[in-house]
Amino acid sequence: MSTESKAVNTRKNWLLSLDSWAVVAAFAAALLIRAGVFKHIPW
Amino acid sequence: MAGSVALPQSQAQSHQPALQCLRVIPGVLLLAAVGYAGKLLEKNVGAYAKAHHWTFPNIEYVLWAILIGLAISNTVGVPAIFRAGVATYEFWLKAGIVLLGARFLLGDVLKLGGVSLVLVAIEIAGATAFMIFLGRAFGLRPKLTSLLAVGSAVCGVSAIIATQGAIEADEEDSSFAIAAILALGALSLFTFPVIGHWLHLSDRAYGLWAGLAVDNTAEATAAGALYSDAAGKLAVLAKTTRNAMIGFVVLAYATYWANQGKAKTITNRAAFLWQKFPKFVLGFLLISILATYQFFNKEQITAIANLSRWAFLLTFAGVGLRTNFREMRKQGLRPFAVGAIGEVAIAIFTLAVVVGAEKLVGF
Repeated sequence: MSTESKAVNTRKNWLLSLDSWAVVAAFAAALLIRAGVFKHIPW
Repeated sequence: MAGSVALPQSQAQSHQPALQCLRVIPGVLLLAAVGYAGKLLEKNVGAYAKAHHWTFPNIEYVLWAILIGLAISNTVGVPAIFRAGVATYEFWLKAGIVLLGARFLLGDVLKLGGVSLVLVAIEIAGATAFMIFLGRAFGLRPKLTSLLAVGSAVCGVSAIIATQGAIEADEEDSSFAIAAILALGALSLFTFPVIGHWLHLSDRAYGLWAGLAVDNTAEATAAGALYSDAAGKLAVLAKTTRNAMIGFVVLAYATYWANQGKAKTITNRAAFLWQKFPKFVLGFLLISILATYQFFNKEQITAIANLSRWAFLLTFAGVGLRTNFREMRKQGLRPFAVGAIGEVAIAIFTLAVVVGAEKLVGF
């Protein structure tokens, strides 16, 4: 599937892998909550 | 796990992060709109039916979001402007799993993860052997059989893409295997919860079963969440344990095909394993450790857990939006038949293993 390959190739061009970006974003959000920037996230 | 949504050519050629960020905005907004519509429908349809004394099943936001996405994808289609953003559903899935770690104490992770690890080892061995047997019986190309086996045994589309590169399989083979795994993953969303309720499975047994038997992480997460919140947590844990095995299984296949003289030999195995290891598994464990040692207070854990739910909401919308049955049908019947027979057998096998383990170990 050429579109899949394009997606993979596009990811390789980023500094970090998609996995690593997801981890960085999740930790950044958790730390902002820990720091009290976001006190309440409604659901 | 990579979606079947086509990225525009211009995006594949562009390497500017700022431009890429702008391009994903419409699709991310579409994911949010579809997901939020699912949430509103869950809340309002049930209340409306109750107010009018109608008998209507309680459909959760997970299923609404997937159904709305499926309806869009299979009728009007996803317009090109949204495709790059819709493809980010995988990013939201992984961020959601990392954040979900805050809801697990390390002791639970080790206990349930240990149980999962044993069950995953049994599942990988059984699924791989059976898929290879089926592939040979149906006369599929050997590398296509390897891709289907690794997709069924470990981690769906991610494992297929990783293995394709490692064993130098044709793009056509990986396309067949991905289509089969995605189609069967979509079917599991509608069959697994029904079977679970029919068999009166506990949340733990169902969650472990969904995590072991459903191949793609997004579909495994959705199939678990469709049963209950607790089952969803367990499905993610079991699936994450399976994901952690990806490097070892891909390395085994790469070594096999290199020994056959049909793929490159891997010289640095440690680097290969690290490259293939899903980093979000480490993030999940680290957040769980922080939560266990009370780095976050109770309110903060609730906020992190809710953020994880929002991330999953975008993922579920993406599962529906990237599933196009017409595209899957084009891939042919034989790989799908092998995948379908294999998946049914793996689902029955893993169900027996989980029910047996629950009775024996009492997790």
